[in-house]
Amino acid sequence: MVGIPTVLVTVEPAESMQARPPRALCPRGFIAGHTFGRPRDSALQRWIIMDALGLLTAPPAPGEVITRDYG
Amino acid sequence: MTEKPTIEMSRYCVPFTPFRGPLEEATVMIVSTAGVHHVEDPPFDTEGDTSFRAIPGDATAADLRVADTHYDHDCIDKDVNCVFPIDRLYELAEERRIRAVAEKHFSLGFTQALRQLRDETTPRLVREVERLRPDAVLLTGG
Repeated sequence: MVGIPTVLVTVEPAESMQARPPRALCPRGFIAGHTFGRPRDSALQRWIIMDALGLLTAPPAPGEVITRDYG
Repeated sequence: MTEKPTIEMSRYCVPFTPFRGPLEEATVMIVSTAGVHHVEDPPFDTEGDTSFRAIPGDATAADLRVADTHYDHDCIDKDVNCVFPIDRLYELAEERRIRAVAEKHFSLGFTQALRQLRDETTPRLVREVERLRPDAVLLTGG
């Protein structure tokens, strides 16, 4: 059976690492309730999504949570 | 027929499936634990619910509601895309940055019944995801 690639966007990186995610992105300083950014800020939301999806094609770093700043 | 023995993964293993890109040819699904449901579906029990909801692939954020009291709703009351970026995925598909949005997405709600979540809910959810076989799954909490 072949798995399905996943990428996690998390605002709780320490907790998420316990689950050993194959790919994970943490927008620094964001909290639950706005993981993908501010309301109606489509540019920011798209930026975060594309960074997350970009981990699918980036050099593998399984088990790591990549933290990035989004202003 | 003899059953194949189950192999328990080491707790230090990271389950990793390579992505067979490019992203422009990928169908992307959202799987969330943010308590999101379609407006026509029953909400999650906010005190604890081990069920999941399927969200139609053609739903928009305006069709979605959130049934979870365990995180701040100040942003999602204005824009569900803050936790479930379904409109953004559509836009990316229209721009051909991904090929398509999945036929369905899924959301779980809040629960502390972790054993039931692991032993019952998750296998059922995984079967649904596998049946649809997206090229990639975007996992998110609230």
